[in-house]
Amino acid sequence: MNGKVLFVNPERCTGCRNCEMVCSVFHSGVSNPSRSRIRILKWEEVGLYLPMTCQHCETPVCTEVCPTRACHKDLENQRVIIDPKKCIGCKTCIMACPFGHPFFDPVDRLTAKCDYCDGNPQCVLFCNPKAVSYIEADQINLEKKREAANRLTNFLRQGR
Amino acid sequence: MPESLRIGRHLKPQDHWGWIIAIYLYLAGMGAGSFIIGIIIHWSTVSTKLIEIPLFSLHFDIAKATLLWGPVLVTMGAPFLILDLGIKRRFLYACLNPKTSWVARGFLILSSFIVLGWITLLLSSLPLLSSYIGASGLRGLESMALLLAVATAIYTGILLKSVKHVALWNTYLLPLLFLISALSTGSMSLLMGIFAMKKSLLQGVFSSSLIKMVMETEQILILIEGIVLVIYLYRRNLTNSQGEQGGLSVRLLLKGKLKFLFWGGIVLSGFLFPFVLESLFSQFPEYPILFWFAGILLLLGGLFLRYGILSAGVKNRIPMERWIEAQHLLKSLRIKER
Repeated sequence: MNGKVLFVNPERCTGCRNCEMVCSVFHSGVSNPSRSRIRILKWEEVGLYLPMTCQHCETPVCTEVCPTRACHKDLENQRVIIDPKKCIGCKTCIMACPFGHPFFDPVDRLTAKCDYCDGNPQCVLFCNPKAVSYIEADQINLEKKREAANRLTNFLRQGR
Repeated sequence: MPESLRIGRHLKPQDHWGWIIAIYLYLAGMGAGSFIIGIIIHWSTVSTKLIEIPLFSLHFDIAKATLLWGPVLVTMGAPFLILDLGIKRRFLYACLNPKTSWVARGFLILSSFIVLGWITLLLSSLPLLSSYIGASGLRGLESMALLLAVATAIYTGILLKSVKHVALWNTYLLPLLFLISALSTGSMSLLMGIFAMKKSLLQGVFSSSLIKMVMETEQILILIEGIVLVIYLYRRNLTNSQGEQGGLSVRLLLKGKLKFLFWGGIVLSGFLFPFVLESLFSQFPEYPILFWFAGILLLLGGLFLRYGILSAGVKNRIPMERWIEAQHLLKSLRIKER
């Protein structure tokens, strides 16, 4: 996969939902989390949060099931996008996506999904704990290895 | 602890596809099932009752119209698909991707069945028109419409089966269950139509042995449907590994928020009461109220079956969720050790 992608680190997420707010403001002009294209899965009782956004899969299921081809893969940028002029709001892509990503916009009555804010993701800009970052796809493994190394170092320090 | 996390997170019905889609699937299935049973009766018996349409001085075969009225039900169901769309005026776009999308394929299958079904219904019911294409031409049309009716009945299950990440739906038992349910509700709607007009327009047209045979077939279908439902739920209950939520969906249906719908709407209304009431009616045919109750409850049960299975379709957990839950388990174990 080429280009930049959103990388989520759930351990850093505090569940503040700032990302949802800025996403909805950027895309719809109102501060309404139900219109956001990033959602926080929450386990409030134990304080665990998981920011969920489009994975822009290499072989996306949502594009296969879309009856109108509104949901399609932009081969140039390797991104999955929804054409709002073709979308009929049937919610088939929402049902099909294993990550539960495309969301139904209750105002526009269409399905909306993350489009990386035209290359400048607002969720990344406004995420204070840096739980979401926008990095080159081939650096994701490096990032994961770095996190694992940090965890191991911390663990060993605690052991002393 | 992770178990409680998982339950807290997922044990609620899905709400993207609700009652509107359930009614669409139900009417499409029932209409197709009614057409399948109707055409089998139409081919195996000679049932004719001509009435004259006053204004046009045309003859209309009310007996054949009663047998082949399935496309009317499917036509009634189709607007519910449009009603569920976000932008309803764009409904014609829904057929643009039949190569990979089952919604698009279904749109084409249903549209073809509606068109061909109506043509068959009109040609069979209007002797003046059927004389133009001849008996063999009519038989060919009826055969094509029958094939499309079978495709429609199976499609209602295939549409859900195509959603691969919902373990409750991702099985070939689901199209089978919906096909049998379509035949069961379809034959009941057919019987209700015949009974409704038996004393007026259809007096003496359908023999009591034929009606008895259809009723017995109906009861056998209820039994088969019940057995398939049990096997279906049992098999889905086993799919609970590697993030698959089949077991949780079954639990949601049997013990969770949908338990009243399942036990009251599906088991009692859809299977038990109709079977018992139909058996009683065959013993006491002088009480037609038994048949009407059985019919209404069975038809409601068919609708509840589709709604229940739709609502209980919980998505499988993704690796990230499982990873978070595993981490939480490790943390809680560490706290216990300390």
